[in-house]
Amino acid sequence: MAWFFHLALRQLFPPGKRFPAFAIVSILGVGLGVASLLVVQTVMNGFGEEHRLRIRESFGECVVIANRPISNVDELVSSLNVEEEVLSISPYAEGPALTRRGSFAGVAFVRGIVPTDEDLPARGYVIAGDFNDLDDGRVVLGIGLARDLRVKVGDKIDLWSPVMVDQAEKGKAPLPAELEVCAIVRTGFSEVDNRAAMISLRRFRELWSLGNKVHGVILRLDDPNQAPVIAARLNQGKPDLRFVPWQEIKKNFLEAIRFEKTMLFFLMFIITLVASFSIGSTLFSAVIRRTREVGVLVALGAKPWQLVGLFGLQGLWIGALGTSLGFILTWTILSFRDSILGTINSLFGDGDMVANVYQFSRVPLHYDPMDFLIAAVFTLLVTTLAGLVPAIWAASRKPSEAMRDV
Amino acid sequence: MSEIVLQAKGLKKSFKSPAGSLAVLRSVDLEVRAGESLSIRGSSGSGKTTLLQLLGGLDIPDAGEVRLQLGSRSFVAPHRCLGQGVGFVFQNYQLMAELNAWENVALAAEIAGRGKSEKEAQELLTLVGLGHRIHHMPAQLSGGESQRVAIARALINQPAVILADEPTGNLDETTGQEIMKLLLEVVAQQQAALVLVTHSKEFAERTQRRLLLSGGVLSPA
Repeated sequence: MAWFFHLALRQLFPPGKRFPAFAIVSILGVGLGVASLLVVQTVMNGFGEEHRLRIRESFGECVVIANRPISNVDELVSSLNVEEEVLSISPYAEGPALTRRGSFAGVAFVRGIVPTDEDLPARGYVIAGDFNDLDDGRVVLGIGLARDLRVKVGDKIDLWSPVMVDQAEKGKAPLPAELEVCAIVRTGFSEVDNRAAMISLRRFRELWSLGNKVHGVILRLDDPNQAPVIAARLNQGKPDLRFVPWQEIKKNFLEAIRFEKTMLFFLMFIITLVASFSIGSTLFSAVIRRTREVGVLVALGAKPWQLVGLFGLQGLWIGALGTSLGFILTWTILSFRDSILGTINSLFGDGDMVANVYQFSRVPLHYDPMDFLIAAVFTLLVTTLAGLVPAIWAASRKPSEAMRDV
Repeated sequence: MSEIVLQAKGLKKSFKSPAGSLAVLRSVDLEVRAGESLSIRGSSGSGKTTLLQLLGGLDIPDAGEVRLQLGSRSFVAPHRCLGQGVGFVFQNYQLMAELNAWENVALAAEIAGRGKSEKEAQELLTLVGLGHRIHHMPAQLSGGESQRVAIARALINQPAVILADEPTGNLDETTGQEIMKLLLEVVAQQQAALVLVTHSKEFAERTQRRLLLSGGVLSPA
């Protein structure tokens, strides 16, 4: 081991000292900075992942929209069935309608679906009733629309489609469709929760006079992350269709999440930077305190790069140990995140915000190795630089200046 | 007559001060021969430490030159070969607080690129009478013991010259006497030359050659 490695280690952890205050406080400072950075990043990743999953499960992984109602849906389904990236295909039709129960009314965005289809969006977000009960006489409502209409599972609502309005204009007196609420869903997306009404495709075609036509199909893919690439490929040679990947459906929302994460990264990085600067200032004063020792080392023949190594290494080790401590703290905090949040909520009387606001059963998280790598590289870089600056200053001093103090 | 190991010719050094340039060394010529001991006395501020720094290569003169014979090689300027050929003993010992006695001694050898030299360091500590305290930290050593460690450190690279700046300045009279006796003995034993800067006329008289630094020039005392 080079002498300056050994001496740097001894100066950082002096033998016989039970509490090397400088080293411990510095390492703790970096550790807390790294932990706060990674905890925020990991939870933000978790929220991002949960939201992405929710978008896919609420809207579908890839929605195929036709310029005009598709009459030959079987042909389209057959052509898509041969694509190996496509796992399932669900035809749908959709349109606005007026819903009413008693004196309460609301505008619904009705989607006609095949009730037996297991891969239907929103199927996993039922909060009351049973999605499997959906048939030609029943409807699944979003929670917001159900509240507007003051209905619960088992109640009946009336639904007027635009076709009925046409008939009324022609002097006919159409009767509204009476549908029983069989399930209520809550996805967390207001456009679904406040407006969605799902009925069977057969009933939709009847109410909208669509015949055998549909408005599009919803695809489930084997790799949802590749949806934009797959959608672009499948769209080739089909000018009347538009393949919309889930990333595009909620593009602004996803951009907002990503922007939020980037901003938080920079805010948290500043915390780490502040911790590193305090280490730099502590190391600087430590180097000044050791001016005489620097002079003696020079007198013994120490080269400037060895002096830079002596103090630079101390910064590097503080960074390395602080980063490791930060990783351990991150894992510990995130392992007990629900208990910690529960304590915070009970202290401030906020209730279970994660469940109430985000509809998540627990604080979501997603470990991204890249976040850990970036945090480690940045921290090591900054703490090493924090040690290097005073080291370069010390090494550049004339030995006689330092020795004059001897 | 033995060969010259350290030579200074026409050394001049001045420092800037609020009152203008302060000439500390006006013209210093000095030759140090192998194995000899010489002392330099002078009042405070006469430039003794400055001269020692110039001789050891820790500073560069404004004019003149210092040359050190390094083994079989020709003369070189000491500031170009710090850690080789010259050993320092300082008034305040200047041991590394985080290293124990033998590590402090071995550090000089390591810096000079000679490896850890643990055995050699322990032998030198035994030579200076500290064989039983090689694992003690500087904080656990008395002033005299610390100076013994510093002497062992100065000797480990077998320098041709030992430059000692007030080595007894921080010690009581009895300990100072012991250290002075030891320094002269071990330096002679190692066949190194000794340049001793001291205030003490008594210690100076123990050296073979005695010089006085006054008014920026050296003269026989």
